Parts: sequence; structure tokens; C-alpha cells
Amino acid sequence: MMISGIGMISSLGLGMSRFEEALRNGWQRPSEVPAHARTGGMLPAYLVDLASLPDKSLLKKVRRSDKVSKMLVLAASDALTNSGIERNAQTRIGIIVATAFGPHVTTFSFLDDILDHGDAAVSPTTFSNSVHNAAASYVSMSLNIKGPTLTVTQFRFTFQAALQLAQIWLDQGRCDHVLAGAVDEYGEVLGYVADHKLTTARDGRITPFTFNPTCQVPGEGAAFLLLSRERTANTYSEIGPVRINSALDTNEPVDLAIIDADGMLPDESAYRTSLSADVPAAAYSPLFGSMMIGSAFNVAAGALMLKQQMTYATPIQDNPHGVRLLTETGKARLGAVRCIGYNCYAEQAEVSLKKI
Amino acid sequence: MKKNSMLVTGIGVISAAGADIAETLRTFEQGTRNAGPVTLFPTALRSPVFEVKHLPDAYYLEGWRTLSLALVAVDQALHEARLSDLSGFRVGVCMGTTVASQLNALQFYKTYRENGQAPMTSVDRFLKGNLAEYIARRLGARGPQLSVVNACSSSTDAVGVALSWLKSGLCDIAIAGGSDELNHVPYCGFSSLGIANPGLCAPFDRDRQGLNLGEGAGVLVIETREIARKRGVSSLISVKGYGTSCDAYHLTAPSPEGVGLRAALQDALAEAGIGPQEIGFVNAHGTGTHDNDLVEGTVLADLFGPDLVMLSTKGFTGHTLGAAGGIEAVFTAAGLREGWVPMSAGFTTRDEAIRIAPVRDKTAISKRFALSTSLAFGGTNAAIVFGREAGL
Repeated sequence: MMISGIGMISSLGLGMSRFEEALRNGWQRPSEVPAHARTGGMLPAYLVDLASLPDKSLLKKVRRSDKVSKMLVLAASDALTNSGIERNAQTRIGIIVATAFGPHVTTFSFLDDILDHGDAAVSPTTFSNSVHNAAASYVSMSLNIKGPTLTVTQFRFTFQAALQLAQIWLDQGRCDHVLAGAVDEYGEVLGYVADHKLTTARDGRITPFTFNPTCQVPGEGAAFLLLSRERTANTYSEIGPVRINSALDTNEPVDLAIIDADGMLPDESAYRTSLSADVPAAAYSPLFGSMMIGSAFNVAAGALMLKQQMTYATPIQDNPHGVRLLTETGKARLGAVRCIGYNCYAEQAEVSLKKI
Repeated sequence: MKKNSMLVTGIGVISAAGADIAETLRTFEQGTRNAGPVTLFPTALRSPVFEVKHLPDAYYLEGWRTLSLALVAVDQALHEARLSDLSGFRVGVCMGTTVASQLNALQFYKTYRENGQAPMTSVDRFLKGNLAEYIARRLGARGPQLSVVNACSSSTDAVGVALSWLKSGLCDIAIAGGSDELNHVPYCGFSSLGIANPGLCAPFDRDRQGLNLGEGAGVLVIETREIARKRGVSSLISVKGYGTSCDAYHLTAPSPEGVGLRAALQDALAEAGIGPQEIGFVNAHGTGTHDNDLVEGTVLADLFGPDLVMLSTKGFTGHTLGAAGGIEAVFTAAGLREGWVPMSAGFTTRDEAIRIAPVRDKTAISKRFALSTSLAFGGTNAAIVFGREAGL
């Protein structure tokens, strides 16, 4: 399966050029949001600023939608444009959206309705937008995509599972292309939950190679890969087997390991078992924040590097365990990149990317 | 697409119509409709609901009603499939839901709003209660796992995903279906949309006034023929095909032409390798809302002709949202296995705007194939073809 296009929106902005610029520039301090009432003060967060986007034409088409939907529509449109694929009436595109928390801000807004106005006076629009698959629906409507459209949710490996299913859909001929993506948003309540259950890096620095103790900085955004059976002019890389809950394929030579470590687990030591002294490692979560669907952004980074034959230094290089880090930005010969995630049970997921 | 089908070796179901398939079939024969006022939470709203009144004690998990319901159905299905030990098999778990995917914990949120902090009990339940993750971990299933949240088509899609997994070789056995509890939040939501029926739902009826919410779970154990043979189990019923397509039309209303449903049905038939004339009956989505039933009835009449045996079982279960596709998949498989389908409860008067009408009585089925359909918020449509083995 080939990555024919990538679209994304994050605190870094919209599109691969902004992502590439951020990879090149390295870590930047995130913005701050008012902390929840319990602690007061401010907390760092990597937030998407939709108001700053120069082209709002697509946003106007989905003006009644919430932020999750808007981010997802922008990322999907960006991926289609980025791919350069030509669509006709027969082109069948599928959509698979992975999310950990869905439109929770809208859900809490609907709960506000119930608490403030009673069961009989709630907003139907808010309710409709609070359904998990509303965002995928806005993508299908705004981009006129009528293929299989699926939203899936889990707290770990949901994006990897989406990739696995996309591969099957392509192999079985359900679609010509699949937009496989991920989205999650920041909101005050889940910000409070994350700050309560995890450690927030007050200085805004996620240190992915510290492993234990960990610290997180909430992020939000959406990323889509446009996946195809065949190679296209814009192909980034091939995606090899996606393995979940099975051992890493250590026989396969790789040139770079990208890990999903981002402080969303209190102990990320399991990552150490997947790293080798022979292969440099990177983690890009300090650029876009901690998200349970952060693997989508890391896979995008890996695919970009394979296409450009460039490496981008891991942005935060705190390294108490002496991991072999990718410290240089520049031209490189990359044949394969392995993207690795772990869950709280020390189970792993692996996405293998290969140069075309 | 490969046309090899997968065997359904176990089914499990719990809903207001019964705590298992045997009790459900008795309810179907008697035509009993176990609806009533909401008892699970306080509400000022009055639309009747189909609650599960007898959740077995062994399955009671505080604050995890959706999971409790799911586990009842999972255990029934595994028991029927004679699968007590999953070790040695690659078992996938794909479950559809709506409620279990959302942190719609009113008390938690109310406390948070008032105090700026709140106990984490319901958050912890939410984080540990992802349907597929929880079931896979409880069973020790090491294959793929996904929780599908495609609104009302969630568990039809979950069964379809499981079929795709099995065909691809990603797993040998799949546990697939869905579960949803009756929950305060969607109860208010559906009322706000103006589609909650003040009386009992009447799918496809001329005078239909909307849906009743329900709750329950429906689960299938599906496996490759090779694994079933190795395990020494057999089955009359198989999953033949799955189709899914999006209307790209409206967030809450189906495309008036039924574009997505038509495509989903055609894809499901194509994967099954059969024509519309071979379908013995369709267990329709049939919610009892004006738009759904008009569009669905029109598409079914167009594709299968006005004499198709068609029914909605939501008159017995209510609309169980993310569980509906799983529950109705179980009912469809059971209909083929038993050779009959029940009356379409609630239907009395034909709607002249719809060129097809559901069955009014228990109806014998002789053909070998049947379809279950789901239409959902977001314009997603899904259909599954089940088959009964030839010569049986």
C-alpha cells in the first residue's frame, strides 16, 4: 500500500509544508491555555488556530460543524490535494477515521444543555455534532466521497488499526484509495483529566526519551494519509505490514526508528526494548503535542523523510538512557523507517515504511 | 473481491425481546412488545423505551451497562461456538457502539462544573471500558481489535470489518457485533431531533411517528471454514457479503434517493455472488421514522421488488443504536436457521408512498439468503448478506 498524499492540521498549521518547516526548525514553545479551576494559572498546550488560516472557503462549507469536524475536513482536503490524484465518478475512495476521544467538547456542550435547560430543551444541532462519526460525515459531504466511511475509536493503536483495515480494503477491492486518518481535540475537561492523571510539562517540553517519569503537553489536530494500491507520481513511501500486539520484525533492516512516546503513559520504558544501538531514534511529539493518535503524525514524518531522503533531528534530545538519537537534520539515504507505539500493557504496534 | 464466506458458529443476543435467542424467538412468536417508561434514569421525557429488565447478576458491572450487555452476548456466542479457550487461535474482536465511546457522564460533568474538580471514577471506567479493547483483554484474544463508532450502523460495520479481517487472513476467528445501553444523553438527543415516538414505534406504517430507543447487544462468532473444521464444529449459517457506502448528503437525514443504501446493498450482493432474486428476506433498519422508512422501503422495492419478505425487528427491541446491527444480524442468522421470521411488530397500515410493506405475521422462509441493513447518522449505510448452507 502506497502513501499517495498526506494532509494535516496541527498547532504547526495546515499542510505538509508547515509540518516540514517545523521539523526543520525544531522545538518551539507551545501556547498556553487557562488551567482548570482546581489549580488555576496557565497550562501549555499545542492548539490548532483555525482563525489564523488564510483560506477559509472550506471552513465556510462546514460552518455548522465543531472543531473536530473542521480539522478533519481540512486535513482530508489537504491530503487529496497533496496526492494530486485525479478523481472521476468511478473513483471509489474510502474514509477511515481513528479517534481516541471524538468530539468531546461538543459532548460536554450537550451536557451543558441538559443541565442548564432540561431534557426537553436541548439543541438538536449540538447532539448531531456530538456523535463520533459526524466528523467523517462532514468529510464525505464536503469532499463528495461516497465510498465506505468508518470511524473507529480506541485509546491506543487506533490509527495503526485503521491502517491495517485500509490495507485490507485496498487488497479486497472495496476502494481505489483510502483516506486513513486520525483526529483528536483539546478541551478543558479532558485537559483537567490529563493533568490530574498524568504529569504536565509546565515548561511545555515533552521529553520522549526520558521514559520514566514522563510528562505530557496536550496537543490536538488531524492527519490523513491518502493510501493507494498503486504508486503515483506523488508517492511518499510504501507501507509494509502493520503489526499490532505482535513482535517487531527485527530481521527487517531499518534506518530510523520513530517512537510515539509523548508522556501519555506514566511509564514509557517499554520503548527502550524496541530501540537498538544500530538504528537512530527520533520522536516528534514535542512538535505537535501529546495525543493518543499521535502516531499518525509520526508516520507522516517518516513518510516525508523517505520521500525527501532527508532526516530531521529529534526535536528534544534529553537522553538519560543513552539512546542513539537522530541528532542531525540533513540529506540522508533512507530505505526503511519503523514507527513504533506502545500501550500501557507494554504491547506494541509497528508501522513499517519503505522507500519507493 | 474473494467470495469465500465465513461460518457463523455462535450467536448471542440480549434485548428487551429476550435474554437469549431462545427467549427472543418465543417473544417473536407471541408478538409481545416489552416497552415501557424509562426506569434507568430520571427524565421528564415520555417516549417509551425498550429496556433490558433482567440483566444476569453475574454480568452486572457498576457504571458499565453497555459492557455488561456485551459480555452476556459474547459469552452466549462463545458457548454456542464451543469456544471456551481461545489460546492457539488468532481471534479478532470488532464491536460497534455509540454510548461506550463517549464520556457522557452527567454526574461527573456536573460536579466538575460546580467545583472545578470531580472524582475520576467515571473517567476511569470510560478509559478502561473501550468495548473491543475490554472484551479482547478479558478473553485473551490476541488478534486485531476495533471499536466501530459509526452511529446506528456501527455493529453492521463491525461484522463487515470482521468478515474483511477473516478473508484477509488477519485472524482465524472473529467476535463481532455491538452493544449499547439506554442512556440519558442520546435519549434527550433523539427527543430534540423530534423523532422520538410518544407511543410505540410502527416501522413502515403509514401513521408512524418516530422511533423508540432500546438497549441490548448482539454478537456473532465468525470463523473460517478451515478453523471450524479443525475445531470439529459446523454451522448452517455463513456470512456471505458486506457492503457499505456513504450518502455524502446530510448529517442526519438519508439521501432521498437512497444513493448510499443502494450502493451498499449492491456491494453486499456482489461480494456474496448472488442476485437480488435469491434473497429470502431483509431484516430492514426500519426505525419507524418518516424519512428512514420511506427511503429504505423505496430502495428495497426498487432492488428486490414489491413482493420481498421484509420486516423490522425494532418493534420488538426499540432502536438500540450502535447495537442494532449486531442484534439484527443475530436475528437474521436465526431467521435463516429457523426458517421463519416474525411479524414486523407495530405495522398495521400500509403507506401508499412506499411500494413495499413488511410482513404482518410469522412468515416461513425457504430461500437460502437474507440481508440485514443499517442506515446511520452521517449518511453511512451498511448491509450484510447471510446464507444457509446448500442442501441442508
